[in-house]
Amino acid sequence: MKKYPLYKLPIGYTIFYTLLILGSGIWLFLLSQGLSGSSSILATLHKIIVLPEKKSWQHFAEVAAPHLFAMGMLIFTVAHFMLFSTRVSQYVSLFVAMLLFAAALFDISVYGLIISGVVLSGWIKLVSISLFTGIFLVLLFMVYVSL
Amino acid sequence: MKFLVTKDLAHSSLLANLMSAVVFVLLFYLGLDVVLHGYVIGFDIPSLQSTLYGNAENFEEPMLIDALLLQVHIDLFMTLFAVLILSSVYIRLFPKNKRTKKVVHAVFISGMTAPPALLLAYFTNMFFAYIWLVSFAVWHLSAVLMGLRILKKLLLK
Repeated sequence: MKKYPLYKLPIGYTIFYTLLILGSGIWLFLLSQGLSGSSSILATLHKIIVLPEKKSWQHFAEVAAPHLFAMGMLIFTVAHFMLFSTRVSQYVSLFVAMLLFAAALFDISVYGLIISGVVLSGWIKLVSISLFTGIFLVLLFMVYVSL
Repeated sequence: MKFLVTKDLAHSSLLANLMSAVVFVLLFYLGLDVVLHGYVIGFDIPSLQSTLYGNAENFEEPMLIDALLLQVHIDLFMTLFAVLILSSVYIRLFPKNKRTKKVVHAVFISGMTAPPALLLAYFTNMFFAYIWLVSFAVWHLSAVLMGLRILKKLLLK
Protein backbone atom coordinates (compact mmCIF):
# COMPACT_ATOMS: atom_id res chain seq x y z
CA MET A 1 0.00 0.00 0.00
CA LYS A 2 2.90 2.34 0.76
CA LYS A 3 4.09 1.77 -2.81
CA TYR A 4 0.70 2.86 -4.19
CA PRO A 5 -0.71 5.59 -1.91
CA LEU A 6 -3.38 6.49 -4.49
CA TYR A 7 -5.20 3.25 -3.63
CA LYS A 8 -6.68 5.21 -0.75
CA LEU A 9 -8.95 6.95 -3.27
CA PRO A 10 -10.89 3.93 -4.57
CA ILE A 11 -11.09 2.51 -1.03
CA GLY A 12 -12.48 5.79 0.31
CA TYR A 13 -15.04 6.12 -2.47
CA THR A 14 -16.13 2.52 -1.94
CA ILE A 15 -17.36 3.55 1.52
CA PHE A 16 -19.66 6.21 -0.02
CA TYR A 17 -20.92 3.87 -2.76
CA THR A 18 -21.65 1.16 -0.20
CA LEU A 19 -23.63 3.61 1.97
CA LEU A 20 -25.70 4.59 -1.09
CA ILE A 21 -26.27 0.93 -1.99
CA LEU A 22 -27.38 0.13 1.57
CA GLY A 23 -29.66 3.19 1.64
CA SER A 24 -31.32 2.42 -1.69
CA GLY A 25 -31.68 -1.24 -0.67
CA ILE A 26 -33.51 -0.34 2.56
CA TRP A 27 -35.72 2.10 0.66
CA LEU A 28 -36.56 -0.62 -1.91
CA PHE A 29 -37.48 -3.01 0.90
CA LEU A 30 -39.77 -0.43 2.51
CA LEU A 31 -41.39 0.31 -0.87
CA SER A 32 -42.09 -3.40 -1.33
CA GLN A 33 -43.79 -3.37 2.08
CA GLY A 34 -46.18 -0.57 1.16
CA LEU A 35 -44.25 2.64 1.79
CA SER A 36 -45.74 5.35 -0.40
CA GLY A 37 -46.46 9.04 -0.38
CA SER A 38 -49.48 8.54 1.86
CA SER A 39 -47.89 6.28 4.50
CA SER A 40 -45.02 7.26 6.79
CA ILE A 41 -41.92 5.16 7.51
CA LEU A 42 -43.16 4.46 11.06
CA ALA A 43 -46.53 3.30 9.75
CA THR A 44 -44.77 1.02 7.24
CA LEU A 45 -42.53 -0.44 9.98
CA HIS A 46 -45.62 -1.09 12.12
CA LYS A 47 -47.32 -2.77 9.17
CA ILE A 48 -44.27 -5.00 8.58
CA ILE A 49 -44.40 -6.16 12.22
CA VAL A 50 -48.16 -6.76 12.26
CA LEU A 51 -48.80 -8.00 8.74
CA PRO A 52 -45.81 -8.31 6.38
CA GLU A 53 -46.53 -8.30 2.63
CA LYS A 54 -47.38 -11.75 1.29
CA LYS A 55 -44.72 -13.00 -1.12
CA SER A 56 -44.50 -16.11 -3.25
CA TRP A 57 -41.55 -18.52 -3.37
CA GLN A 58 -40.92 -17.29 -6.93
CA HIS A 59 -40.58 -13.72 -5.65
CA PHE A 60 -38.30 -14.99 -2.88
CA ALA A 61 -36.02 -16.69 -5.43
CA GLU A 62 -36.02 -13.59 -7.67
CA VAL A 63 -34.82 -11.43 -4.78
CA ALA A 64 -32.55 -13.95 -3.03
CA ALA A 65 -30.54 -15.14 -6.06
CA PRO A 66 -29.02 -11.80 -7.15
CA HIS A 67 -28.61 -10.69 -3.52
CA LEU A 68 -26.64 -13.82 -2.55
CA PHE A 69 -24.17 -13.01 -5.31
CA ALA A 70 -24.11 -9.22 -4.88
CA MET A 71 -23.92 -9.16 -1.07
CA GLY A 72 -21.20 -11.82 -1.11
CA MET A 73 -19.16 -9.85 -3.65
CA LEU A 74 -19.63 -6.55 -1.83
CA ILE A 75 -18.72 -7.95 1.60
CA PHE A 76 -15.67 -9.72 0.16
CA THR A 77 -14.50 -6.58 -1.65
CA VAL A 78 -14.94 -4.23 1.31
CA ALA A 79 -13.54 -6.73 3.82
CA HIS A 80 -10.45 -7.46 1.72
CA PHE A 81 -9.44 -3.79 2.10
CA MET A 82 -8.71 -4.68 5.72
CA LEU A 83 -5.71 -6.69 4.45
CA PHE A 84 -4.03 -3.32 3.95
CA SER A 85 -4.88 -2.13 7.45
CA THR A 86 -2.18 -1.54 10.02
CA ARG A 87 -4.56 -0.09 12.61
CA VAL A 88 -7.11 -2.91 12.97
CA SER A 89 -5.94 -6.44 13.71
CA GLN A 90 -6.57 -9.22 11.20
CA TYR A 91 -8.46 -11.22 13.85
CA VAL A 92 -10.97 -8.41 14.42
CA SER A 93 -11.35 -7.94 10.65
CA LEU A 94 -11.92 -11.67 10.16
CA PHE A 95 -14.47 -11.81 12.99
CA VAL A 96 -16.47 -8.83 11.67
CA ALA A 97 -16.34 -10.10 8.06
CA MET A 98 -17.55 -13.59 9.02
CA LEU A 99 -20.27 -12.11 11.21
CA LEU A 100 -21.34 -9.97 8.24
CA PHE A 101 -21.46 -12.97 5.90
CA ALA A 102 -23.64 -14.78 8.44
CA ALA A 103 -25.91 -11.72 8.86
CA ALA A 104 -26.26 -11.43 5.06
CA LEU A 105 -27.29 -15.09 4.74
CA PHE A 106 -29.75 -14.68 7.61
CA ASP A 107 -31.18 -11.48 6.09
CA ILE A 108 -31.65 -13.05 2.66
CA SER A 109 -33.19 -16.29 3.89
CA VAL A 110 -35.38 -14.95 6.68
CA TYR A 111 -38.33 -14.02 4.46
CA GLY A 112 -38.60 -17.74 3.70
CA LEU A 113 -39.70 -18.23 7.33
CA ILE A 114 -42.50 -15.69 6.80
CA ILE A 115 -43.60 -17.23 3.47
CA SER A 116 -43.66 -20.74 4.91
CA GLY A 117 -45.69 -19.57 7.92
CA VAL A 118 -43.07 -20.50 10.54
CA VAL A 119 -43.04 -16.84 11.66
CA LEU A 120 -46.19 -14.76 11.25
CA SER A 121 -44.85 -11.36 12.28
CA GLY A 122 -42.32 -9.43 10.20
CA TRP A 123 -40.22 -8.35 13.22
CA ILE A 124 -37.64 -10.98 12.31
CA LYS A 125 -37.02 -9.31 8.94
CA LEU A 126 -36.56 -5.93 10.64
CA VAL A 127 -34.09 -7.49 13.08
CA SER A 128 -32.15 -9.20 10.29
CA ILE A 129 -31.96 -6.10 8.07
CA SER A 130 -30.90 -3.93 11.05
CA LEU A 131 -28.27 -6.49 12.06
CA PHE A 132 -26.87 -6.69 8.54
CA THR A 133 -26.80 -2.90 8.09
CA GLY A 134 -25.31 -2.33 11.55
CA ILE A 135 -22.46 -4.82 11.07
CA PHE A 136 -21.79 -3.44 7.58
CA LEU A 137 -21.52 0.07 9.06
CA VAL A 138 -19.00 -1.26 11.60
CA LEU A 139 -16.92 -2.79 8.79
CA LEU A 140 -17.10 0.47 6.80
CA PHE A 141 -15.98 2.39 9.88
CA MET A 142 -13.04 0.00 10.27
CA VAL A 143 -12.08 0.63 6.63
CA TYR A 144 -12.40 4.40 7.20
CA VAL A 145 -10.19 4.25 10.30
CA SER A 146 -7.60 2.23 8.36
CA LEU A 147 -7.33 4.78 5.52
CA MET B 1 -6.82 -4.72 -5.44
CA LYS B 2 -4.65 -6.67 -3.03
CA PHE B 3 -3.89 -9.18 -5.77
CA LEU B 4 -2.70 -6.45 -8.12
CA VAL B 5 -0.02 -5.07 -5.81
CA THR B 6 1.65 -8.38 -5.04
CA LYS B 7 3.29 -9.19 -8.38
CA ASP B 8 5.85 -7.40 -10.47
CA LEU B 9 4.21 -6.95 -13.88
CA ALA B 10 7.52 -7.31 -15.71
CA HIS B 11 7.87 -10.85 -14.34
CA SER B 12 4.25 -11.91 -14.50
CA SER B 13 2.82 -12.06 -18.00
CA LEU B 14 -0.20 -13.90 -16.59
CA LEU B 15 -1.19 -10.94 -14.40
CA ALA B 16 -0.58 -8.47 -17.24
CA ASN B 17 -2.72 -10.52 -19.63
CA LEU B 18 -5.46 -10.96 -17.04
CA MET B 19 -5.54 -7.21 -16.48
CA SER B 20 -5.77 -6.58 -20.24
CA ALA B 21 -8.58 -9.11 -20.59
CA VAL B 22 -10.70 -7.74 -17.74
CA VAL B 23 -10.29 -4.18 -19.03
CA PHE B 24 -11.23 -5.35 -22.53
CA VAL B 25 -14.43 -6.93 -21.18
CA LEU B 26 -15.20 -3.81 -19.11
CA LEU B 27 -14.95 -1.65 -22.24
CA PHE B 28 -17.67 -3.79 -23.84
CA TYR B 29 -19.71 -3.50 -20.64
CA LEU B 30 -19.44 0.30 -20.69
CA GLY B 31 -20.64 0.43 -24.30
CA LEU B 32 -23.59 -1.85 -23.66
CA ASP B 33 -24.45 0.00 -20.45
CA VAL B 34 -24.91 3.18 -22.51
CA VAL B 35 -27.20 1.29 -24.92
CA LEU B 36 -29.20 -0.16 -22.00
CA HIS B 37 -29.74 3.23 -20.38
CA GLY B 38 -30.71 4.65 -23.76
CA TYR B 39 -33.53 2.08 -23.92
CA VAL B 40 -34.62 2.21 -20.26
CA ILE B 41 -34.24 5.94 -19.45
CA GLY B 42 -33.45 7.73 -22.72
CA PHE B 43 -30.85 10.35 -23.51
CA ASP B 44 -32.82 13.05 -25.33
CA ILE B 45 -34.99 15.51 -23.41
CA PRO B 46 -38.43 14.31 -24.67
CA SER B 47 -37.72 10.66 -23.79
CA LEU B 48 -36.24 11.63 -20.41
CA GLN B 49 -39.36 13.71 -19.63
CA SER B 50 -41.59 10.89 -20.77
CA THR B 51 -39.72 8.33 -18.60
CA LEU B 52 -39.69 10.48 -15.46
CA TYR B 53 -42.97 12.39 -15.69
CA GLY B 54 -45.04 10.54 -18.32
CA ASN B 55 -46.71 12.06 -21.35
CA ALA B 56 -50.35 13.09 -21.03
CA GLU B 57 -50.79 13.59 -24.78
CA ASN B 58 -49.75 10.00 -25.55
CA PHE B 59 -51.33 8.62 -22.34
CA GLU B 60 -47.90 7.45 -21.13
CA GLU B 61 -47.49 6.85 -17.40
CA PRO B 62 -44.22 7.86 -15.69
CA MET B 63 -41.82 5.11 -14.66
CA LEU B 64 -42.84 3.53 -11.34
CA ILE B 65 -40.66 4.56 -8.38
CA ASP B 66 -40.04 0.87 -7.56
CA ALA B 67 -38.60 0.27 -11.04
CA LEU B 68 -36.52 3.45 -11.01
CA LEU B 69 -35.13 2.79 -7.53
CA LEU B 70 -34.24 -0.78 -8.52
CA GLN B 71 -32.39 0.60 -11.56
CA VAL B 72 -30.55 3.09 -9.32
CA HIS B 73 -29.70 0.33 -6.80
CA ILE B 74 -28.28 -1.90 -9.56
CA ASP B 75 -26.47 1.02 -11.23
CA LEU B 76 -24.67 1.91 -7.98
CA PHE B 77 -23.50 -1.68 -7.54
CA MET B 78 -22.38 -2.16 -11.15
CA THR B 79 -20.70 1.26 -11.30
CA LEU B 80 -18.79 0.58 -8.08
CA PHE B 81 -17.34 -2.67 -9.35
CA ALA B 82 -16.56 -1.43 -12.87
CA VAL B 83 -14.87 1.73 -11.59
CA LEU B 84 -13.10 -0.07 -8.74
CA ILE B 85 -11.50 -2.61 -11.09
CA LEU B 86 -10.56 0.02 -13.69
CA SER B 87 -9.10 2.46 -11.17
CA SER B 88 -7.16 -0.30 -9.36
CA VAL B 89 -5.47 -1.37 -12.58
CA TYR B 90 -4.97 2.25 -13.65
CA ILE B 91 -3.30 3.24 -10.38
CA ARG B 92 -1.15 0.09 -10.58
CA LEU B 93 0.11 1.11 -14.04
CA PHE B 94 0.31 4.90 -13.59
CA PRO B 95 1.04 5.41 -9.88
CA LYS B 96 3.13 8.57 -10.28
CA ASN B 97 1.34 10.23 -13.17
CA LYS B 98 -0.07 13.66 -12.20
CA ARG B 99 -3.28 13.01 -14.14
CA THR B 100 -4.07 9.75 -12.31
CA LYS B 101 -5.46 11.38 -9.18
CA LYS B 102 -7.75 13.70 -11.17
CA VAL B 103 -9.05 10.92 -13.43
CA VAL B 104 -9.79 8.61 -10.48
CA HIS B 105 -11.61 11.41 -8.63
CA ALA B 106 -13.59 12.30 -11.76
CA VAL B 107 -14.71 8.76 -12.52
CA PHE B 108 -15.74 7.97 -8.93
CA ILE B 109 -17.54 11.27 -8.28
CA SER B 110 -19.43 11.31 -11.58
CA GLY B 111 -20.32 7.62 -11.23
CA MET B 112 -21.63 8.26 -7.73
CA THR B 113 -23.58 11.38 -8.75
CA ALA B 114 -25.48 9.91 -11.70
CA PRO B 115 -27.90 7.44 -9.99
CA PRO B 116 -29.01 9.78 -7.13
CA ALA B 117 -29.42 12.63 -9.67
CA LEU B 118 -31.90 10.49 -11.57
CA LEU B 119 -33.90 9.91 -8.39
CA LEU B 120 -33.83 13.63 -7.55
CA ALA B 121 -35.02 14.42 -11.08
CA TYR B 122 -37.96 12.03 -10.57
CA PHE B 123 -39.05 13.86 -7.42
CA THR B 124 -38.19 17.43 -8.42
CA ASN B 125 -37.52 18.74 -11.91
CA MET B 126 -35.53 18.36 -15.12
CA PHE B 127 -32.50 20.21 -13.72
CA PHE B 128 -31.33 16.99 -12.04
CA ALA B 129 -31.98 15.03 -15.23
CA TYR B 130 -29.40 17.26 -16.94
CA ILE B 131 -27.00 16.54 -14.06
CA TRP B 132 -27.68 12.83 -14.58
CA LEU B 133 -26.94 13.18 -18.31
CA VAL B 134 -23.66 15.04 -17.71
CA SER B 135 -22.41 12.81 -14.89
CA PHE B 136 -23.42 9.63 -16.77
CA ALA B 137 -21.47 10.84 -19.82
CA VAL B 138 -18.47 11.92 -17.72
CA TRP B 139 -18.11 8.63 -15.86
CA HIS B 140 -18.50 6.53 -18.98
CA LEU B 141 -16.06 8.66 -20.98
CA SER B 142 -13.50 8.75 -18.15
CA ALA B 143 -13.79 4.99 -17.69
CA VAL B 144 -13.38 4.34 -21.42
CA LEU B 145 -10.33 6.64 -21.55
CA MET B 146 -8.82 4.86 -18.53
CA GLY B 147 -9.47 1.50 -20.17
CA LEU B 148 -7.91 2.53 -23.48
CA ARG B 149 -4.84 3.95 -21.72
CA ILE B 150 -4.44 0.74 -19.71
CA LEU B 151 -4.70 -1.40 -22.86
CA LYS B 152 -2.21 0.85 -24.67
CA LYS B 153 0.29 0.50 -21.85
CA LEU B 154 -0.16 -3.26 -21.47
CA LEU B 155 -0.42 -4.33 -25.10
CA LEU B 156 1.83 -1.82 -26.88
CA LYS B 157 4.82 -1.92 -24.57
